[in-house]
Amino acid sequence: MSNVCEDHIFSEVFKAHSKTVFNYIFYKFGNEEKAHDAVQEAFVKLWENCAKVSPEKAKSFVYTVANNLYLNVIKAEKVRLKHADSLVRDRTNESPEFLMEEKEYQKKLDNALHALPENQRTTFLLNRIDGKKYAEIAEMEGVSVKAIEKRMHLALKSLREHIDGI
Amino acid sequence: MQENYLAKWLSGELSEQELQEFEASEAYASFQKLKEASSGLQAPDFDVDQALLRFKEEHMAKAPKVISLNPFRKFLRVAAVIAILLTGSYFYINSLNEKVTTGFAERSEVILPDNSELFLNADSRISYSEKNWDNQRNIKLDGEAFFKVAKGKKFTVSTEQGTVTVLGTQFNVENRKGIFEVTCYEGLVSVTHNGKEIKLPAGNSYVVINGKQVTGTPKGTQPSWMNNESSFESIPLKYVFAELERQFDVQVNTENINTDLLFTGSFNNTDLNMALKSISTPSQTRYKVEGDNVLFYAGNTPQ
Repeated sequence: MSNVCEDHIFSEVFKAHSKTVFNYIFYKFGNEEKAHDAVQEAFVKLWENCAKVSPEKAKSFVYTVANNLYLNVIKAEKVRLKHADSLVRDRTNESPEFLMEEKEYQKKLDNALHALPENQRTTFLLNRIDGKKYAEIAEMEGVSVKAIEKRMHLALKSLREHIDGI
Repeated sequence: MQENYLAKWLSGELSEQELQEFEASEAYASFQKLKEASSGLQAPDFDVDQALLRFKEEHMAKAPKVISLNPFRKFLRVAAVIAILLTGSYFYINSLNEKVTTGFAERSEVILPDNSELFLNADSRISYSEKNWDNQRNIKLDGEAFFKVAKGKKFTVSTEQGTVTVLGTQFNVENRKGIFEVTCYEGLVSVTHNGKEIKLPAGNSYVVINGKQVTGTPKGTQPSWMNNESSFESIPLKYVFAELERQFDVQVNTENINTDLLFTGSFNNTDLNMALKSISTPSQTRYKVEGDNVLFYAGNTPQ
């Protein structure tokens, strides 16, 4: 059985999945330092167990380790995400008022995301930012696809209610 | 609608009919906006190569550490690096800032690298980094200037008493001893003063005189000094005199006058005598001119 003890292979695995682990922990806690540490921790465990893990299983291995690192989300900090400029860049409608409204909406979105339960927020962001499909997230989280769909549905519902002030 | 239809909608798994039904619903617009806005979100930067390097150094190091026995050698190398750094810094910092200064009775216009315009009133100084303008539009101001900001990245004006942030608009910032005044003529600006942030829409002024805030309603689409007229609304006389000094390059002295009295009015910047009359009449003072010196003194009858 091939394993990940070889420098070249291990590096490839690291390059392929470290960002996802980083983002995942960041979405959970809103803390960059924790996220960096989680990456290192998870891959240390992989390195220590390199003989027992095949390249195909490496991804779920590091993800599971990261998942278990901080089991208690006591109080997540506000997750600071960057917002891209408005996708609807209509040159004739770039008044300062419009831009201020955009900023207001972005603030509301940030607050709404912070108010979500952690697993909904994390699932939502893995889908929206990292582009992970539901099946992939389900595998990472160790739950069914239906469970992920339910989290997404509830997240969207809550976000909308929070932003529209319902 | 099927269970968890919002999740299905997002992944494009709704049936034709369900999709039409959803799009016709009242809440659809909100969800669509959410979908777009969330597409634009970005996680913080994560340098994979750097993380890998760190990982290798901390957990995969194989060779034993080599301890140098000649510390002086190391010092020499370090000393050299520092020397170069210092020299490099000197030139870098020096080439960093464009500076423009106006003297008394002088005004100036500056076109910034992005075609934003700024007009300096008398006795004012600005500095900014031309090289760095693409990354950061920031101007340091001491004095008074009127800005016409081209649309683009965040544009900030830093003064000793506060910071003004705008996105694309026209506004005036006055920062002189004892006075901090921001007037927005078009668009919207954000003023940070003493840790507070105030949003200023067009047609509004934020004025702080000696730590006390006063409200103002400016008239017109640009400050009056741009049209050679200095105008004041409930401003203590001493600041009126100070502006007179700047516009005409004269020295103003007072005798038996309470310079904290509030003055509302304006004076023309091109004719000194007319200007003096414009000040003395409403304030019921008298004046005497001797060369470059002007004396204002108490009087009960207008000139």
